[in-house]
Amino acid sequence: MKRPADMNVPADFGFTEEHEVLRDSARRFLAERCPIEAVRRLSKDPIGHDPALWKDIANLGWAGLMVPEQYGGAGLGMLHEALLLEETGRCALPSPLLATTFAAIAVMHAGSAEQCERLLPALASGDAIGSLALTEPRASWEPSDIDATATREGSRFVLHGEKTHVLSAATADWIVAPFLVDGSVALFVVDTGVSGLSVRPEVGIDPTRRTGRVRFDGVRVDASARLAAGNAAVLAEIHHRATCLLAAEMVGGAESALAMTRQYAIDRKQFGRQIGSFQAIKHPLVEIMIGVEQARSLVYAAAAEFDQTGSGEVGDDVLVRMAKAAISDTFWYATDRGIQFHGGFGFTIDCDMHFYFKRALWSRAMLGDAPHHRTHLAKSLLDD
Amino acid sequence: MTETAAPDPTLLRKQVRQWIAENRPAKPDFLEPENFMFVETDEQFEYLKSWQQKLYEAGYLGMDWPTEYGGGGYPPGTQNVVAHELSRAGTPALLNIIGLQWAGPVILQFGTDAQKRRMLRPILSAEEIWCQGFSEPGAGSDLASASTRADDNGNGWRVNGHKVWTTLGRFSRWMILLARSEPAAAKYDGLSFFLFPMDVPGVDVQPLIKITGEGGFNQVIFSDAQMPRDALLGQVGQGWPIAMATLTFERGAAEGTGAGSGGTTPGIGVAQVVELAKRASRNGSPAVRDPILRDRLADMWIRETASGFARRRTAVPALVSDRPFAIPLMSKAVGSEYVQQLADLACRILGPDAALWLGDPDAPDGAGWPHAYMNSFASTIGGGTSQIQRNILGERVLGLPKSK
Repeated sequence: MKRPADMNVPADFGFTEEHEVLRDSARRFLAERCPIEAVRRLSKDPIGHDPALWKDIANLGWAGLMVPEQYGGAGLGMLHEALLLEETGRCALPSPLLATTFAAIAVMHAGSAEQCERLLPALASGDAIGSLALTEPRASWEPSDIDATATREGSRFVLHGEKTHVLSAATADWIVAPFLVDGSVALFVVDTGVSGLSVRPEVGIDPTRRTGRVRFDGVRVDASARLAAGNAAVLAEIHHRATCLLAAEMVGGAESALAMTRQYAIDRKQFGRQIGSFQAIKHPLVEIMIGVEQARSLVYAAAAEFDQTGSGEVGDDVLVRMAKAAISDTFWYATDRGIQFHGGFGFTIDCDMHFYFKRALWSRAMLGDAPHHRTHLAKSLLDD
Repeated sequence: MTETAAPDPTLLRKQVRQWIAENRPAKPDFLEPENFMFVETDEQFEYLKSWQQKLYEAGYLGMDWPTEYGGGGYPPGTQNVVAHELSRAGTPALLNIIGLQWAGPVILQFGTDAQKRRMLRPILSAEEIWCQGFSEPGAGSDLASASTRADDNGNGWRVNGHKVWTTLGRFSRWMILLARSEPAAAKYDGLSFFLFPMDVPGVDVQPLIKITGEGGFNQVIFSDAQMPRDALLGQVGQGWPIAMATLTFERGAAEGTGAGSGGTTPGIGVAQVVELAKRASRNGSPAVRDPILRDRLADMWIRETASGFARRRTAVPALVSDRPFAIPLMSKAVGSEYVQQLADLACRILGPDAALWLGDPDAPDGAGWPHAYMNSFASTIGGGTSQIQRNILGERVLGLPKSK
């Protein structure tokens, strides 16, 4: 087994003043531009996000935060991105940001210089919305469980298959998705406007996100749509990075759920007492706080480890899996208890807690739940 | 007060590592106490005492304390570097923990110069062992209801009462004593804090038998035990705030302890239970193949790793700025419950042989796992129960209203 001390995480997590500035300015911007009333409004919006806000977010450089500067991005690292997404998670930001970030990561890791040149500037500027399709109807969390196929036809490929739970599917300009070419994993970037590609918007549990089921019925693409370095190992690396960032977003959500329930426990009186004075409320809130602090420590460590190993190297998956397992349980617990401790009000759609509760349920179901990651961790721990 | 320049941590770490390699004692042929709370026999006591003496003579204890009181005079936090290395190397436990981590820091904070000069150096050198007289049969989590009396009789105070869970009581020269000196005052205002000399007449130290059947803890019964005027720490009636300060040091939430903090990794870790699972069998197959045990072990590994990174995160203030005191204040409950659940998991892995106890020739690992599980309650109850810790976290960190 690997001991924490052996893991490649700098003592200070590689944290700098630059990280702090990004986090604090993101927090201020989002407090102003994405209050819970905006989330409520956008939860009923057909496209599910505010295009003007998306433009402003892109202008802040958030869409291309990790994209190298030569391709129009800010060239920052995973810890930057994790701290930013913690803030967007805190306010349950409805946005194509997560999807576009995932797509950019896929292109950065699997694309040739020419492909990066062609795709990344538009993603980094927010002119294009991207997405990454990692799940298929057989509902496996293993990234290499792929049924979709890409068959050669002269200089082109013909794509067949179906991808589920694709973030921002209906608004995306490009979707990055894995297909099997002669039985081996390959990654393709597909323009959503091409013939044979159809999107059925899903009725999702989380009203702050839009997802869709994407069918590829004989979609014909040029060979240049195949990301040059896309193979099973690179897909695993992309999957781990996406998992780390989703976990970071979940930390922010859990933190907000804790803050809301804490405030309610102070404000709400029953039997002539603030309900936060009852240990039946107080102690579970402390449990949530402990869970958030533990999970957040793992998220920062995992992100810092990616920054240490650098792009192109296949990093270790231990800390990512720990982070996603820990926050999946904690985010669920924080919001499940959040609904319960808001009492009758918590059960109504007027209480904001349900946004976070539904985010917790969606997020834990994506990219592997806690038992899934613990199963993998047990292999590292017990079978080496 | 003299202050020596901060040593380069990398260099210090290297020196300590080398010193440990050259000086760590051989494993004894008797049961080595996992920590200071489990010292029962004279040979166990002497073994740990000589280790602490050696460490002090090498200059690796009390590094943050002023030189005039026997310390190293280094800036706060220096001792933590050594604590990490000792913990990492798994050296023997430190014996005089109550002196180093509880009594010493409060004497430094509240004591007179004469008290500091008299008390501090022998704490570091382990020449004088300290015990703690806080809990009583009728005052556990509600410590402020302590009823042991200290009556001012002109020459000092006369003590009558009963203290329990006085770890190392029978080896101790001194006790930090919380006693009621002002019976007419309100509950929290009537207590004073004393540095009580254990060698005066009227002090009866008796063993207290734990659920393991072992001693180690003591109870102390005071019958007209006389202490002098200079036994008082701070002011009359200031006992409660000093006791609270003591508990802050005890829970590792404040700098300035003689042995440092951050080195308090639990006595057992998931690696040992993994090793156990690999050799234990469950219904004819290796326990390590059982999917439920695998899930539990992975979960314990996650928790152990998370605690390690949480501790490291506290060194980067901006990464804990939302709640600066959460991680230090939660470490006592989290760490002690982790060890308890890990020991319990080990017992479950043992299968039917988990039913054997100390002394049975066929007990796996000498019944060390059920023994560790039972002893783990010392840490989830002592020093403020896990439930009291959650009240403290809820009230001080989350700002929730008081529970009483």
